[in-house]
Amino acid sequence: MTAPPIRAAFDLVDHHGREVTERTYRGSWLLVQFGFTSCRVVCPRALAKLSAALDALDPPPGLVVPLYVTVDPERDTPDVLRAHLEAAHPRFTGLTGPPERIEEAKRAFLVFARRRPDPDDPDGYAVPHTAITYLVDPRGRPAHHWPDTRDAADITADLRRLVLSPPPDAR
Amino acid sequence: MRQLDREQSGHLRHWDELSRRQPNDWSLMQGKGTGQDDFGGYRFQLAYMVYGLALTHRHRLPAAPGLFRPMMQRLIDKLLLPEVWMYWRDVSRGGSVFNAHLADRLGEEWDPVVRDNIMYSAYVQSCALLHDHLFADDRYARPGSLTFRHWSFFWGGGEKRFAYDRDSLTEHLYWQMVRNGYVGIACEPNCVFQICNQPAILGFRLHDLLTGGTRADDVVAGYERAWAEFGRLDAGGHYNMMLAEDSRAVRPNEAPSPWVDAWCGTLMNTWNRDFVRENYPRQVADFLVPGPDGTLSVRSAPARQVMGQPVVTDTCDTGWVAAWASEMGDRATLDGLLAHADRFMAPTWRDGALHYPRNDTPADACGHRTEIEPMTGNVLLGYARLNVADGLWGLYNEPWSAAHHAEPALVEVDRDVEVSRAEVVDGVLHARLRRETAVPGDGAVTIGRVPAGARLLLGGTELDAPAVDGGVVVRVPDGPAVDLALVP
Repeated sequence: MTAPPIRAAFDLVDHHGREVTERTYRGSWLLVQFGFTSCRVVCPRALAKLSAALDALDPPPGLVVPLYVTVDPERDTPDVLRAHLEAAHPRFTGLTGPPERIEEAKRAFLVFARRRPDPDDPDGYAVPHTAITYLVDPRGRPAHHWPDTRDAADITADLRRLVLSPPPDAR
Repeated sequence: MRQLDREQSGHLRHWDELSRRQPNDWSLMQGKGTGQDDFGGYRFQLAYMVYGLALTHRHRLPAAPGLFRPMMQRLIDKLLLPEVWMYWRDVSRGGSVFNAHLADRLGEEWDPVVRDNIMYSAYVQSCALLHDHLFADDRYARPGSLTFRHWSFFWGGGEKRFAYDRDSLTEHLYWQMVRNGYVGIACEPNCVFQICNQPAILGFRLHDLLTGGTRADDVVAGYERAWAEFGRLDAGGHYNMMLAEDSRAVRPNEAPSPWVDAWCGTLMNTWNRDFVRENYPRQVADFLVPGPDGTLSVRSAPARQVMGQPVVTDTCDTGWVAAWASEMGDRATLDGLLAHADRFMAPTWRDGALHYPRNDTPADACGHRTEIEPMTGNVLLGYARLNVADGLWGLYNEPWSAAHHAEPALVEVDRDVEVSRAEVVDGVLHARLRRETAVPGDGAVTIGRVPAGARLLLGGTELDAPAVDGGVVVRVPDGPAVDLALVP
């Protein structure tokens, strides 16, 4: 599988309220998932799967930084993201920001997300989105991606190969 | 025993003849539409000849790669001709009722596969991959093997050249799917048709078979999830035709038009067989008109009026319903449709080739449908005759293994040799061959992958045929068809 043709670029705010860009994390591998905290099916499944994959990989601290970028910035403030992730998916750092910067990040990562009415949601809407997970190498280059259909074991195996035994130019 | 009948051989001969036309000789292939922007365009005729050849090779004449391979290559060469894809330079600018509001944002695009236009790009992709899969070849993996180029002495400045291959094109289409949330890639700007994304899924599957990976499964899973929001079927139980990318408005098959259901059902059977089969009997019943002596014809929807203009297009309704019935294994419907075509649509034989010529007259004096488009008369009726039940499903789900490509086979077939049987049964290559004297050729076939010590029988008589480069050349005698056997 070739590297995804994305630009791994963003200019957002993390769930501690700090301004971050892709350069903030240089030197670490980034595991990037887009979603929204009110998502009832796709995100909980994806975040649980990725957490399980990372648990199995058990990387040294700082080697892999899992990021969860919201596609619903109106609801997903830094505080909402932090509360949600710390409670359920503590490996992840949430990123949010003004809608136009979220749009830029979506474009850069080729992420599709679009708000639509959802009568089952307390606020009356959902934001269906692409559920691809991206891996970005320590130099900020796209390295790999996993569609939603990959399971945790596959992801762990790929991470072991790519992150724990990377080719020299990916370190 | 799998053997072609006279009509099936006639369709193959016609496709062979069309594939051999000089560049830009499109005689017999011109439809009602203008500028190659409708459903009768050359791209569809060329692509579905390739699909029909693939189905025939896979299911009926598996031991005759030499018959199919050059024909598929010639058709793919034609698919790359600018006359086939230059409509995109204009269509990319928008201006239809579905994207008129976007016209200010859309510009002229020369590269015919770089954005939207899945109604062309997916056929280039899937045809190239069918070729490479069926012949265990890397012909279209070579960089630039799928290049779109145009240059005119008379206008336009320098050469336009857009180089792709089966891998780069597949990758490009895959990431367009991702970017669109897997709902599909548009045909005309803003218009995502269910139909036209199915060939890309077949292409992803073939690419996975050739190179590894799970693109097809990924895309199908995403496609299912994306369309769950809209529904595959409309309120009337017919396939939703298209989705407007920006407004997310779904356009149902409102008339309903036979081609929408038939084309979509035919192709979607590759990966969604149970669903397609469950809905087929009810859907097809809405379109069939009983005729004399068990014949069946197809009732087209009335031509639409849009912006005060009649929409002129080749619907290809008859052909698509026949193709659909063939994929569903609905022999009674298929036989009825073919009987109607043979009785009312002027089957025409020329030098051993069979087609049904274009006729724009809706019906004869007794009301029997006579209207037929080049896509139906050149391609789809032949496709339907040559297909088998679940033919596309088999291409998708039951690929050939490496063992197939090690078996003896007719690896070269001269133009004037008709092959009506070519299969390996219990290790023995069986073929039935006939010399067609109406066309030029040397009347020979070459058998490749011949086991050491194999005996060759022609018409029951053992031959001592000359070997060339590991193959054996056999001259086919004039006269009736003869049986060939290569016994290990």
